[in-house]
Amino acid sequence: MSVEVLENLKKAIIEYDGEAAASWARKAVEGKIDPIKALDTMTVAIREVGEGFGRGDLWLPDLVGAADAMTSAMPIIEEEIKRIGVERESLGTVVIGTVYGDIHSIGKTMVATLLTAYGFAVNDLGINVTAESFVEGIKRYNADILAMSSLMTTTAPEQRKVIETLKEEGLRDKVKIMVGGGAITQEFADSIGTDGYDPTAAGAVKLASSLIGR
Amino acid sequence: MALRGFTRKFRPVELLTEEEVEAIHRGTLEVLWKTGIRMEHERALKLLDRNGCKVDYHEMRVRIPPALVEESLRKCPSVFGVKARDSKNDLMVGGNTTYLSPFPGMQTVDLDTWEPRTATRKEFYDGLTVEDGLETISLIQQYTPYFAFEGVPPVMAMPECMAGKIRSSAKVVAEGYSNGSEVFTIQMAQAVGAEAFVPCLPASPLAYYYDAIEAALRGVEAGFPIKEATGPVPGGTAPATIAGAIISANAELIGALVLLQLVKPGTRIILSDLIFPQNMKSGSPAFGAIGSSLHSAGFNQMWRRYGVPTSNTASITSSKQIDFQAGYEKAISALLFTLSGASLLQFHGAIYGELTHHPVQAILDDDVAGMIGRFIQGIEVSDETLAIDLIEEVGPIPGHFLNKAHTRKWWKLEQFVPRAADRLTYPEWMKSGKKSCLDYARERMEEILAAHKPTPLTSGQEEDIERILEEARKYYKEKGLITEEEMAAYRENMKSPDYPYG
Repeated sequence: MSVEVLENLKKAIIEYDGEAAASWARKAVEGKIDPIKALDTMTVAIREVGEGFGRGDLWLPDLVGAADAMTSAMPIIEEEIKRIGVERESLGTVVIGTVYGDIHSIGKTMVATLLTAYGFAVNDLGINVTAESFVEGIKRYNADILAMSSLMTTTAPEQRKVIETLKEEGLRDKVKIMVGGGAITQEFADSIGTDGYDPTAAGAVKLASSLIGR
Repeated sequence: MALRGFTRKFRPVELLTEEEVEAIHRGTLEVLWKTGIRMEHERALKLLDRNGCKVDYHEMRVRIPPALVEESLRKCPSVFGVKARDSKNDLMVGGNTTYLSPFPGMQTVDLDTWEPRTATRKEFYDGLTVEDGLETISLIQQYTPYFAFEGVPPVMAMPECMAGKIRSSAKVVAEGYSNGSEVFTIQMAQAVGAEAFVPCLPASPLAYYYDAIEAALRGVEAGFPIKEATGPVPGGTAPATIAGAIISANAELIGALVLLQLVKPGTRIILSDLIFPQNMKSGSPAFGAIGSSLHSAGFNQMWRRYGVPTSNTASITSSKQIDFQAGYEKAISALLFTLSGASLLQFHGAIYGELTHHPVQAILDDDVAGMIGRFIQGIEVSDETLAIDLIEEVGPIPGHFLNKAHTRKWWKLEQFVPRAADRLTYPEWMKSGKKSCLDYARERMEEILAAHKPTPLTSGQEEDIERILEEARKYYKEKGLITEEEMAAYRENMKSPDYPYG
């Protein structure tokens, strides 16, 4: 019974089916299956899809679809973990957004979706986010990581401004800062004093994990 | 597996008004009746004479009356099937479908020095394996990939090349002719239960030599489809004006078309133009010139009026390298030929004119073919593609479509993803060694050669092909067209353990 439920949970994620994933997650809870095992199953599923993407067999809509399906099942499993009193912390808390002046959302949304699927607690502030809003978000969510996106060379300097503002507020050393987006290069990321940069959404997950020592 | 062609969903591009079409038609009839065609084939002249043409036997010139022209055009099928060795590769030529095919070079090129040289036997067979492996190629064209290869006496080139095509592909094939080689190439196609396009090539302006008519008559007798192909050079062997060159080319093609419909009404014919304006500096054809596209657009429109399928051939370039010029000259002409309604394109692999060809270019052209094919398939409009409910469901930002089942289903149907194009981001590109499409195409060629296995002949079919080749060798040796030295070198070449593939 338990094997069948977990296999179906995995299958639902690999088939990008959020409704089925949520339904099998509920069945897992009803069947008293160890929620940590269910969580591991989901992680195996999303990694499998990630590997397919890395090989070139799968594409972004598949990766994001699987991550989304996992996100629909996640709260059900997490609630059960909380209920039985097992401590299961998220990998880390992320505040993410596209900087002020820039309204490009899809790259940032992809990173947010994948970080969520891999076990980060992600707070997406959206697009056109001012430095002040980033500061407020970091304080409110007690963030471990700040992730900023900008697609255009004209809005990239805004990332520097956010970092300057964090320094003024005395928050710079409390968070790891990662940046991305079409206009960003490693050189630029280094010059404004970030902790990391990656050109791809999949790479951003690895970067975030390494930044918090996981 | 060959794609079943690309089907155009919209009206073809038409450059000529109705009045202009009629003016060209009247002009063509006038040339055929007043000027006529030189046809150096007595049996053909006699048949035309008996059917109401005016024949001057001394000049070997036939003048064809308008009524016979129009009657002959009506006898040509506007859509017809052609049988391949494997029936899943059969063609249905005509209508709104465009098939793509390769275009040859006499020689191959060195990809580092870009200098031409004769292909080896292995390179010839490798080129055919790539043609068979590319999905956008539906027909293995005459003379492709190379006119000939090392170690074979010139007179045996056509039989050897046809044998190579039949061994390497179960798609529809075509082969050229020289010295009566069609006798052997037709037998080879018959031995594997296939049909093959038999060419009939006029010499511009307005002439047919004996061999051209004889090859076509043998093709008709075998019940094979005929590909009439003309290649006048406007300003040299046709008027410099595009309208005048269309009349001249069409008069040439109609000359043989009338004859073939008299011999066997309903004979399947496709008409091809290989037309480049004269390069007024060098005297050679200006390969890749936009004049070719203008000619073909008018040509296709005229033949649509006549209801006979056309093939456009000039998707080639003046560049000697696989470079930007080769890309734009080939792609622009291929796109315009397709938009103006060609049923068949000769395209893949050709580099400089008809002089050089390379499978790496064919692989790059496969991407261009895929792009053009996707374009003519047009825009799908249905409740599902209009996606109004989905747009409502997603709403404004932060909504997005990347995680929708609709996206997963439709993006692959709507987008064409090229195989060799560089589509990396800057960081990825720098990390991968700054590769270009040429690097990717070279890699893909190696992949195809390692992995693609053409449908093999049965052992009985292979025996038949080799027997027909041996008959051709004996025939040409006895006619004195192969010298003792040539034959000795040829026999030596055949001793290779990889024969016939290397």
